Amino acid sequence: MNRRKKITIFTVVRLAFIGIICTFSLFPVLWCLSTSLKTESEIYRLPPSWIPEIVTLKHYKEILGRSDMMHYFVNTVILSTGTTLITMVVSVLAAYGFSRYKFTGCRCLIWTILFARVLPRVSVIIPYYIILKEMKLLNTYQGLMLVYLTICLPVAVWMLKGYFDNLPVEVEEAAVVDGCSPFGVLVKIVIPMCKPILATVAMNAFILSWNEFLFALTMTDGKAMRPIAVGLAFFIDEMGVHWGELMAASMLMSVPAVIFFSLAQNQMVRGLSAGAVKG
Amino acid sequence: MRQFVNALYRPSIRQKRARTGMLFVVPCALVVLLMMIVPVVRTVSFAFSKVTLPSFDTEFTGLENFRKILAMEEFPAVIRNTFIWVAGSVILRVSLGFLAAMVMDGQGKGIKMARLLALLPWTVPSIVSANSWRWILQGDFGVLNMVLREMGLGSLAKLWLGTAATALPTVLVTYAWAGFPFVMMMILAGLQGISTEMYESSAIDGASKIQQFFYITLPSLKSVIKMVIALEIVSAINAFDLLYVLTGGGPGTSSEILGLLIYRLGFSRFDFAGASAASTLLIGTALVCFLFYAPTQFRKKREE
Repeated sequence: MNRRKKITIFTVVRLAFIGIICTFSLFPVLWCLSTSLKTESEIYRLPPSWIPEIVTLKHYKEILGRSDMMHYFVNTVILSTGTTLITMVVSVLAAYGFSRYKFTGCRCLIWTILFARVLPRVSVIIPYYIILKEMKLLNTYQGLMLVYLTICLPVAVWMLKGYFDNLPVEVEEAAVVDGCSPFGVLVKIVIPMCKPILATVAMNAFILSWNEFLFALTMTDGKAMRPIAVGLAFFIDEMGVHWGELMAASMLMSVPAVIFFSLAQNQMVRGLSAGAVKG
Repeated sequence: MRQFVNALYRPSIRQKRARTGMLFVVPCALVVLLMMIVPVVRTVSFAFSKVTLPSFDTEFTGLENFRKILAMEEFPAVIRNTFIWVAGSVILRVSLGFLAAMVMDGQGKGIKMARLLALLPWTVPSIVSANSWRWILQGDFGVLNMVLREMGLGSLAKLWLGTAATALPTVLVTYAWAGFPFVMMMILAGLQGISTEMYESSAIDGASKIQQFFYITLPSLKSVIKMVIALEIVSAINAFDLLYVLTGGGPGTSSEILGLLIYRLGFSRFDFAGASAASTLLIGTALVCFLFYAPTQFRKKREE
């Protein structure tokens, strides 16, 4: 009897904590959503209404009708897609090479890639700026993709290498015996076997470049190449205080990240926390 | 020795395989060389030189740049803020993430849903969270101040981001919000690695839940927590987006940390040498954290 009572108290406390944590997590996003759907006068009303009384899509229409905002969105789509494609090609090749072959400098390179995951981005903005300037790539898609690659590539290589390491090599050996080239083995046998992980890695790279802010801020100048992250950071300075529209644009920017994440949630969590499981 | 003998024995196959392997990693190695090794080397060499613009010619000047940075009026405040920021964010994120993992461990449908909801801050783009918080914390119409006034606590309402005393702690809370789900995820993954047998057999021996927590759960999570702390230190010294949008380092220098100082030195004062000296300090810190983090990544490989 006593023990059952103790368990109940324990459960209540636990539920309370879960409730508090989830509220804390959700509130800012829900508040952003709620504001984006309110009319101008309701946004500034006291006391605040939690759920909009009159739901309006006015702010969304406003944002979708602005050519500059649409231009930022298009820039972001181009940048994220390009970065993702390059990341996939380079990381699949590299991860496969690291996983199946031993050669001089292999360990050294792996350590450097691992270090890239902890290298502070702010500490390289100066050299990146100079490198892009020297290569005449400042304020270009190619330049930004090159810089974004440094964020996406290390994670991608690391996730893929972990996966390749656990694949059975017997099938590949058989293919080599049958006269298949190493590259052919990768394309015809390995890649078809790991479509799910490839999708996860690609989505992860897409989200990382979609959300990137610091590099975009420092490597672009003016509005032509600016992605949506920078556009939203300067929204109030450049377009005035329109909280409804800013919140609507923020919700729009969150869509791909949230969709991709919910699609690949399990695998992404597993990939990112791979080091934690056995450590 | 064995390698040497092997090489003598069948050199051609070994070398051929090595060459194929190298071909696979060439593109990646090029990126690493151009975008990691060159930049880090350049940053460090800039840190010890006088840089002439616009040609970026360098002239060795020893520790001059570091001396200049140390002599900057705002530098003590920036360093103090950076320490508060890193310590504060690691403590907040790790304790909140740990707590969340502890209460949300389990397999039920409801708990899985709760976990997914708790992960939301981590999936939202940083600029979106910055704008959402900026709106919540806004002085006149922000929901936080409005609610405080409604509750008759109007005296507590303030310009959270515009007051020197509250700017940094307020951004810290938003930063903890954005990052605790990651810690939660890592610790949950760590919890899955603990075998249930340990709990079962200790329960038979009469161990209480509290004893199980201190003698089984905590020790098993030690290396995960160590890794998470290293990663969180790195991400804290790397923090930029939230601070840039919410306070921009202000008011004055009350919420300026090293990362923002680098940006300001480099991109508004064009003092590339000074910014590189500050960057070198950051790279050094990251290197120290790396030495704690890397072994946890490689131990896994060795066990397999």
